[in-house]
Amino acid sequence: MSPDDFDRLQSLMVSRAGFRLTRDRMKLAEHRLGPVARREGFETVDAMLGSLWAKPVASLGWAVIEALLNPETWFRRDRVSFDTFGKELLPALGKARGGQPVKIWSAGCSTGQEAWSLAIAAREAGVAVEIVATDLSQRALEKARSGAYTGFEIQRGLKAETMLRHFDQAEDAWIANAELRAMVHFARANLIDAPTDAHRFDIIFCRHVLGDADPARRGEMFDNLERRLVDDGCLFLGPDEQPEGDSIAFRPVAGRKGLFVKSPTALRRVA
Amino acid sequence: MTPRTCLIVDDSRIIRKVARRIVEGLGFEVDEAADGSEALAFCGGVIPEVILLDWSMPVMDGMTFLRRLRALPGGLAPKVLFCTIETRAERIAEALSAGADDYVMKPFDGEILTSKFAEVGAV
Repeated sequence: MSPDDFDRLQSLMVSRAGFRLTRDRMKLAEHRLGPVARREGFETVDAMLGSLWAKPVASLGWAVIEALLNPETWFRRDRVSFDTFGKELLPALGKARGGQPVKIWSAGCSTGQEAWSLAIAAREAGVAVEIVATDLSQRALEKARSGAYTGFEIQRGLKAETMLRHFDQAEDAWIANAELRAMVHFARANLIDAPTDAHRFDIIFCRHVLGDADPARRGEMFDNLERRLVDDGCLFLGPDEQPEGDSIAFRPVAGRKGLFVKSPTALRRVA
Repeated sequence: MTPRTCLIVDDSRIIRKVARRIVEGLGFEVDEAADGSEALAFCGGVIPEVILLDWSMPVMDGMTFLRRLRALPGGLAPKVLFCTIETRAERIAEALSAGADDYVMKPFDGEILTSKFAEVGAV
């Protein structure tokens, strides 16, 4: 991969996904694009990129973009956030909504572990929820939708007891059971796209996603999240992530790492 | 502060070595036993806070050890994590109902073991 190819990849990632592909990921990018090139019928990564620059085909462009996103996730990643969600927020919100399902968005769900972890927490709390889980990557969504995980993946973050209660064993895989699957709807969405409808959520999880966003695009991404969140809703980021400097739409909740609510400014703007 | 203690029970020296490195990384002082009867003798003296336990071992298997441990004075205290090649759901359920706190399917890595320790409240 030439430096020029990498520059073009960087601008492709920013313009289409709002994703900051840092220079230290050049080797990683080359490594990740190898399988894409093979799948798409190119001899080499360079040949694939050459073709993409000469004749930008949307499907190939998205295949390249997907491969460069950061898919890492695991069950109950940052366990404290899931405990806050399941043991404090959900029981309170469930009551406040009077039995109506609490609406939750897993934004940037990758291969789905976050969405299933939310569904598990809701089942254990006995609170009705509707979970929408979105990602930019179709391949990640396919895996998420299958609900199937290897022994290695399933036990990263889940107790065996929880695994047995919510997953069925099939050959070498552990598959989310029917009750869990009925709770989550997976769809493709790009966080740089502004909402085009009025659908809003009570709780949004968007963790370890915006940290990889291009700083110039991060503000609008936070604004898009804010527009999707009800006024008394909550936003979860990764425990070390902060909207500070990028957005004034949210303020942190004291003593709760990674938990944010709408700031008074955002509320005023809505009013 | 005295470091917390973990006993690793496995007939494979390599597994014990791998697990020891991970568990020491979590701040534990580690002892090793090569089968259930060695482990039981160890627990007759001092009971560790966490026990990582293989299932199939010569002399005394993990399940027998677990039942005898739980009957010892103070034997309910340690967090016991089975750590075995056995991955069938019904066997996992059997281990949990025999009193294991959690269950690790081999192969495992540092991230899995760390998350298991966190889930049972050992770290």
